[in-house]
Amino acid sequence: MLRNYLKIAFRNVWKNKVFSLINILGLSVGLSAAFVIGAMVFYDLSFDKFHPDGDRIYRITTAFKSPEGNFYNAGVTVPLAQALKDLKMEELETVAPFFTAYPLHVENQETESRFKDPEFVIYTDGSYFRTFEYDWLVGDKNTALEEPNTVVLSENRARKYFPDQQLSEIMGKSVVYNDSIRTVISGVVANFKDRTDIVFEEFISLKTAGTQDMTNAVNEANWDNTNSASQLFVKLSEKADPTKVQETLAQIAKEHDDPKMVAIGRSNTYNIQPLADLHLNQDYGTFDFNDSRTTMATLNSLLLLAGILVLLGCINFINLNTAQAIQRAKEIGIRKTLGSSRTQLVFQFLGETFLLTLAAAILSVLLAKWLLHLFVDFIPEGLNFELFYNPWVIVGMVLLLLSVTLLSGFYPALVLSKYKPVSVFKQQVVPNSDKGTLRKYLTVFQFVIAQVFIIATLLVGKQLNYIMKKDMGFKTEAIAYFRTPWQDTSSVKRARFVREMETIPGLSKTVLSGNPPASFTTMSMGVLFADGEKEVNSYLQLLYGNADYFNLYHLKLLAGRLPLNDSVKEFVVNRSYLKVVGIDDPEKIIGKSLKSGDQNLPIVGVMDDFNQHSLRYGVSPMAFTGGSYSGKHTQFKTIHFKFKNMDTDNWSHTLAKIEEIWKNTYPEEVFEYRFMDDTIKSFYESEQKTSILLKWATGLAIFISCLGLLGLVIYTTERRTKEIGVRKILGATVLQLNLLLSKEFLKLVLIAFLIAAPVSWYALSYWLEGFANKTALSWWIFVLSGVAMILIALLIIAIKTVGSANADPVKSLRTE
Amino acid sequence: MLLQLKNVFKWVNTGGQRIFLLKDINLEVEEGEFISVMGPSGSGKSTLLNVIGMLDTFDEGEYHFLDESVHTLKEKYRSNLYKEYIGFVFQSYHLLDDLTVAENLEMPLLYKKVKGSERKALVADILDRFNIVGKKDLFPSQLSGGQQQLVGVARALIASPKLILADEPTGNLNSQQSEEIMELFKKLNKEDGVTIIQVTHSEKNAAYGSRVINLLDGRKV
Repeated sequence: MLRNYLKIAFRNVWKNKVFSLINILGLSVGLSAAFVIGAMVFYDLSFDKFHPDGDRIYRITTAFKSPEGNFYNAGVTVPLAQALKDLKMEELETVAPFFTAYPLHVENQETESRFKDPEFVIYTDGSYFRTFEYDWLVGDKNTALEEPNTVVLSENRARKYFPDQQLSEIMGKSVVYNDSIRTVISGVVANFKDRTDIVFEEFISLKTAGTQDMTNAVNEANWDNTNSASQLFVKLSEKADPTKVQETLAQIAKEHDDPKMVAIGRSNTYNIQPLADLHLNQDYGTFDFNDSRTTMATLNSLLLLAGILVLLGCINFINLNTAQAIQRAKEIGIRKTLGSSRTQLVFQFLGETFLLTLAAAILSVLLAKWLLHLFVDFIPEGLNFELFYNPWVIVGMVLLLLSVTLLSGFYPALVLSKYKPVSVFKQQVVPNSDKGTLRKYLTVFQFVIAQVFIIATLLVGKQLNYIMKKDMGFKTEAIAYFRTPWQDTSSVKRARFVREMETIPGLSKTVLSGNPPASFTTMSMGVLFADGEKEVNSYLQLLYGNADYFNLYHLKLLAGRLPLNDSVKEFVVNRSYLKVVGIDDPEKIIGKSLKSGDQNLPIVGVMDDFNQHSLRYGVSPMAFTGGSYSGKHTQFKTIHFKFKNMDTDNWSHTLAKIEEIWKNTYPEEVFEYRFMDDTIKSFYESEQKTSILLKWATGLAIFISCLGLLGLVIYTTERRTKEIGVRKILGATVLQLNLLLSKEFLKLVLIAFLIAAPVSWYALSYWLEGFANKTALSWWIFVLSGVAMILIALLIIAIKTVGSANADPVKSLRTE
Repeated sequence: MLLQLKNVFKWVNTGGQRIFLLKDINLEVEEGEFISVMGPSGSGKSTLLNVIGMLDTFDEGEYHFLDESVHTLKEKYRSNLYKEYIGFVFQSYHLLDDLTVAENLEMPLLYKKVKGSERKALVADILDRFNIVGKKDLFPSQLSGGQQQLVGVARALIASPKLILADEPTGNLNSQQSEEIMELFKKLNKEDGVTIIQVTHSEKNAAYGSRVINLLDGRKV
């Protein structure tokens, strides 16, 4: 029986090559998108699933409440760990504090080989290894980190630092961090084999930090300071209630809140974050900063997109197969008289659907491979085609295939199997009795989606163009900057660097100052503005620079003056800050002062607003001030420079000269400069990604919908061959015939537009709400996309109708 | 008795009027009979055949087939009944275009859930009996009308039904082919004892049968 079904199915698929191809193509577009997105979701959800007791491991994090909103920090105050340990809660099996450190270099003195910027180094103690189960290759889990100046290495690092040596041989050998911290290797653990965010490679005993320290965090042990370098994992005991721990933490937080801060609405709370939440929670992040992370929300919208594309493919299928039903009516009648039951017919048709779905799936797997290459920017590094061999992914794919088969095959199967043999043989199922109402609804639905996508693409493109072209409020042209090494404390070197750069003929200006006016790095402080009775507490972003810097970027002074020099603490606030404190006239704030802690900071000027970040966000209250305090803590570490002319060919020559100076000054560091324009562009990476994805989605939605339309057009025109013949004999012109044939479909496209326009207007105004600077939701976007859709539809329709209308009527009438 | 129709009525309502397709039909068929149903177009011949074949329902009356009351049976049991006992032959053959001769012949057996090896034997057997072994791998479109109808008859017979219902089996054939098919029917009736009910326009074909039923406007005359 099965063989017979397959045979018939295969021959049917083969006989209707065009329809089958349309079906397969439509489905495979949806399926390949679903495969890739499914793989991404699977990838992101499969992190840290392998730890024994993983469901009992939590990270403790901090959330800050303030009038400006909530802020999150993955770290906790240093004393918290000890406080928790002292409580000896029965709910807590382990309390494992650790501190992330960023050594400049590590050296194997035996071989005198030096390794720069070792990543994923932490200070911790034995509790860490009691929380996370590692495979110990050498050394003892309980004692390895007991002593000061001991270190446990991962297998990878051990092999890197001690190539060609047995692991047991390197026990007791030493590595030196930053030329000063000597540590003895007391153990080697295997790296985790599975996907994990617990990426640490070098574990220095916490007691080492007490003596010599690479991070200030360890020794700044007070309840007021939260540093993301100080983190805390806990493992709950079996059957412990996490809410109990949460309650205890809340209590601790309350005890140690500063009443002065609470009075102005600032407080912090500790949260326990399950290990499973680590990977996708962007509030707290993970430990590998090179890895761009997605969020659950992104995954959800991608899944929605995949769902839509699959649905479009299924709709195609339903449309084409019910449209074809009449041609198969005879077969159904015969089968029924030969004794087939309806169930058997339903299964036969489902079998055919499955065959097509399977063909589509095979094609999609190939497409998925290509898509993974194409979307390499969107896909995490660890995700590659190998994931498709994972048994769970395969199960998922099979389930998807089955549901697609059911979704797209069940309704046509029901329609087809309903035919009664008697009526089929009496030819009562004449084509015209099939109104195809459902098909029209479905086609309209497809076009609504395609139309929404087109409108969205146009608007997102317009918005993106708008914010990228809009004036930031300062000059960016021909300006570039680079940061001098942050760990270099010598201001002498920097000053010499600037002097040497001033001799380069291609540069018109060189300034040593703080960060550029717009960047990813922001500094801010809480300030109090007191004016008589009125007191305003707020955050104020700080921009450090001098007069040259101010002029280089063409910042505009509205009132008052600039700070007298760059080491005086005088402030020039921006217009947005005036709004915060409720002053309209810039002149009126001059002479007043800000309070921060015990310091009085005089306001000497007001500057015009400019955007400090992506135009998605508004202008933050900001103050411009000098920052070249002497010594270690200077803010002046960035060198800004402007090219003399717009002759970009010479720029590379000039840059080479700067690099030469760099190499002489900082031979160990890499020279990295950025043009201001590029920095600004990089603010919009996520929007640009959205835009690219949207373009693809639109293309695919149009493609699938057009395939569906093409199928319907082919079907309808063939059904009307006779009518066309008769009309032609009666004197209709080709144009009239085309109009006649196209009218039916254009009506559907038009209806789709009428539905899509308000839907997308609503959705897009919501999207634009997220931008402080937004482009207009112009009427022409809707008209343009409507016209585009109609033109595309017309083109598709014309492919078939022109031929049909030109056909010789004698032939068509004879065949009838 | 093979089957019995008692006071069977069938009608459709058009424009407030009731038009009778079958009107008070009473019919008894014994096993081994060869009956020809005759009458002008629209007299209800095919409808009667479809009712007997359980492909069509009726509105009033009783129908007994081998002691089963067909009119009270559910669709599923009805289809089991006709699958088991009835073979159909059509004027336009109704072979499945996508299947070869052998596959067409196999189809009723598949739906009766006959085992693979037995199916093969039965198909080989019937191919042999009808002398079409050489055509077994051809598709219907590669055969002449007469040959197609031969396959149609063979397909109706393969599951060894008690009753064959033939709706103008020679309607699309020339006179020589007609004769061959009718001779075949006669032989099946005489030698194998298969009951046959055929609808025909031709007196000559009707003469092959043992009894003639005449219909006019849905009524037996």
